[in-house]
Amino acid sequence: MENLDFARLQMAFTLGFHIIFACIGMVMPFFMVVSHKKWLNTRNPVYLELTKSWQKGVAIFFVTGAVSGTALSFELGMLWPEFMKHAGPIIGMPFSLEGAAFFVEAIALGFYLYGWNKLPEKFHWFTGIIIGISGVASGILVVSANGWMNAPTGFDYIDGQFVNIDPVQAFLNPAWFTQALHMTLAAVVATSFAVAGVHALQVYRNKRPDLHKKAFKIAIIFGAVAAFLQPLSGDLSAKDIAERQPMKLAAMEAHYETGTNVPLYIGGIVDEENQKVTHKIAIPGALSFLAFGDFDAEVKGLKDFPEDEHPPVAIVHYAFQIMVGIGTLLMLAGILYFLSLKYKKLFNKKWYWLLFVVLAPLGFIAVEAGWVVTEVGRQPWIIYGFMKTSEAVTPMPGMEFSFYMYLVVYAVLAVTVTWLMRRQIRVLNAVKE
Amino acid sequence: MLYVVLFFLLFSLLLYVLLGGADFGAGIVELFSSRKNKLTTRNTIYRVMGPVWEANHIWLIILLVILWVAFPVYFNVIMIYLHVPFVLVLLGITMRGVAFIFRHYDAIVDRSQLFYNWMFRISSLVTPVFLGMSFGALIGGKIILTEDDYTGFTFSELYLWPWFNSFTFLVGIFYAVLCAFLAATLLIGETQGKVRKMFSKKSAYFTITLVLLGFILIAYGYIYEVKFIKDFVSNPVSIGAVILSGLLLIPLWRAIKRQNTLGSRYLAGLQVVLVLFAALYAHFPYIIITAEKEVSLLEGLPPQAVIQNLGIMLLIGGGVILPGLFHLMRSFGMIKIFKSGEKEFENN
Ligand code: HDD
Ligand code: HEM
Ligand code: HEM
Repeated sequence: MENLDFARLQMAFTLGFHIIFACIGMVMPFFMVVSHKKWLNTRNPVYLELTKSWQKGVAIFFVTGAVSGTALSFELGMLWPEFMKHAGPIIGMPFSLEGAAFFVEAIALGFYLYGWNKLPEKFHWFTGIIIGISGVASGILVVSANGWMNAPTGFDYIDGQFVNIDPVQAFLNPAWFTQALHMTLAAVVATSFAVAGVHALQVYRNKRPDLHKKAFKIAIIFGAVAAFLQPLSGDLSAKDIAERQPMKLAAMEAHYETGTNVPLYIGGIVDEENQKVTHKIAIPGALSFLAFGDFDAEVKGLKDFPEDEHPPVAIVHYAFQIMVGIGTLLMLAGILYFLSLKYKKLFNKKWYWLLFVVLAPLGFIAVEAGWVVTEVGRQPWIIYGFMKTSEAVTPMPGMEFSFYMYLVVYAVLAVTVTWLMRRQIRVLNAVKE
Repeated sequence: MLYVVLFFLLFSLLLYVLLGGADFGAGIVELFSSRKNKLTTRNTIYRVMGPVWEANHIWLIILLVILWVAFPVYFNVIMIYLHVPFVLVLLGITMRGVAFIFRHYDAIVDRSQLFYNWMFRISSLVTPVFLGMSFGALIGGKIILTEDDYTGFTFSELYLWPWFNSFTFLVGIFYAVLCAFLAATLLIGETQGKVRKMFSKKSAYFTITLVLLGFILIAYGYIYEVKFIKDFVSNPVSIGAVILSGLLLIPLWRAIKRQNTLGSRYLAGLQVVLVLFAALYAHFPYIIITAEKEVSLLEGLPPQAVIQNLGIMLLIGGGVILPGLFHLMRSFGMIKIFKSGEKEFENN
């Protein structure tokens, strides 16, 4: 492998790491303030305990998100100096606003974590809300920067130079809304199902079920609603891509031959060499319909594009299948939860809790898969249609060492954070048992 | 608007050096505390720095964003040639951040604390050294700009020696000691009695080291003909600022001795402002000095529209953040202006 490949691997790995903590940082504060509110309203000490435990979780995840994010801000420049030289000024607006959002978040977090018994109760609770809102805001802003890479606007490209820059137009690029909506929902889905799963496991093992059922309920309501909306928003994204990045759509669907009334493949093994898909289930006309709302619409296939501009088809296709599969599953799980509100007997069934334990990691797997679709599907472009990834990479050799270092450091961090969470739960369960 | 952007650039640089520095310094002070004082230091740091440490480090991100948006050519150069020390800085920031949170938020207090503590202290020392070395490399005159022709140079020539040499090492140590000095001075005001005495002593001790190192640095630069230092010494304004900071050492020293918290804090901050001002003034805007030429910060500025937009964003952001930050620092006693207001807060 070349330097470029290691740089790409490192970028993918560090982003994939950061996104987990970013999602939790966006959503977990909301769980915390709901529980906190319940404590203020009911003075039921269980809620106070839960709030404080979640608060520790937020602090631990937040710092991991913050340091990995700091690393990312450097990395954009360190790995892709040519990209940043041209793109930096154009997409400066979301990033400078994001800086402000981080600040607000850090300030609010300072107040919240250290404000117990010091600040007026209402104000203290309110700072918790601010953490959540500014977290979501920073997520949306950074995704808008990514949207610009997919749908570059706000400049004229003349003689290899980016001129007549309009930062506002670049910020509000055509991709930002669908991507930001889908990402925000994804963060809610992934975090909610993960948190709900952790607490479901405790209920399943019959460790302080009173407390863990309350925790489960707070988390899963967010998740169930978002999981229901997620496929709808995904459909919006797909239609968007069909217009703007037909090559990405074709790769997602492993769709080689241009045609009308194009079938949708479910599963299937991609043979990139012979440009074929085997072992698939084909639903006639469905792709045409999903992409353009018309069973007879024409969908361009990969063969219509120059071969040296194809993204890695197999990876994108599999990743897309994984995301959509999980999306469907989690939507059904959300519906199951709402059913159980009506049929309360379900709460006494062991399998019910076990099911949510099994679902716990799926949301995050879908998030990672979704980003693979977006980012790998954009290859070989770093700025879609304008700059190739290979033109952007750092001239410094030896990227493999840097990649391996991040691999080791982040693996150790991930293990440590997991271990810390288990200790958190252990302490929570040990009380009054 | 360019001036607004430049103002925020220098402002966030200053605040990162000051606040981020005090934060690193806290770990260094802890590292150099005697065994029985380590716990006291640790708890003081948690109380004082805890609420604000995260905010302190965001100045670095703001700095970075301003650089890449408004000074892309400059940013491009430092990101390519300082790749290696930046990786080390990032590693240090990561270790330090997580160690700080782990040691205070681990649900179970056991032997793993020992590990977190050492990780926190060591990375607190190492990170500012690498930061200082990176800055030293920018002004050290050893960077080789290849103009896109990378053949004919070895890896070490391009990516190692420019930042890894005795000059940059001196700058690194200088910054680390500066951090320790800031932290010790800050902590004086946060403690009482014996502990307070300990921090005053530390602060005095770091002041002396700092002054000594400053002299060594200038002497070294003068003898080995480091262009930056030579220009610095022959620039009347810069030298004036250094002399002023030297004179101000006397009241600072007194304030530390009398354990005057406010006075020593402001004077310490002023020292940093003066030193930074002196260092930047002599060469502004040529902040990268390479083997052949000097790269201006203002080279290859982006179009007016970009600067305009960034300036507005910074003004809005600043308007939202600074009052909040101020309130946070005041609430938790980092800034003491209205002593009475604080009492009220503590009684709450
Ligand atoms: C919990 C996570 C999750 C779930 C259940 C889904 N997605 Fe997704 N998807 C993401 C998480 C995600 C993501 C990680 O958030 C992405 C990556 C970039 C983005 O904006 O969102 C994404 C991207 C993404 C894209 C590419 C957008 C682009 O490149 O601009 C499409 C077309 C879809 N999704 C479509 C779907 C459909 C049809 C789903 C139906 C079930 C679905 N997603 C479920
Ligand atoms: C956090 C969620 C994200 C994940 C998991 C993710 C994932 C990836 C992956 C897998 C790649 C490698 C693609 C390849 O080389 O085949 C990549 C590349 C890249 N991503 Fe993302 N991405 C995320 C968000 C973003 C955002 C928000 C930005 C910019 C603001 C961004 C900027 C880049 C850049 C500059 C590259 C390298 C160039 C390229 O390969 O096109 N990414 N990312
Ligand atoms: C889609 C991808 C991303 C999302 C949704 C996202 C979201 C977030 C969120 C919510 C936080 C707050 C930290 C927390 O609460 O844990 C955060 C932190 C951070 N992110 Fe990301 N991020 C993404 C990608 C990136 C990229 C590409 C960069 C680099 C340019 C970046 C830079 C940062 C930085 C510097 C922080 C630390 C801020 C702090 O200290 O509080 N993020 N991110």
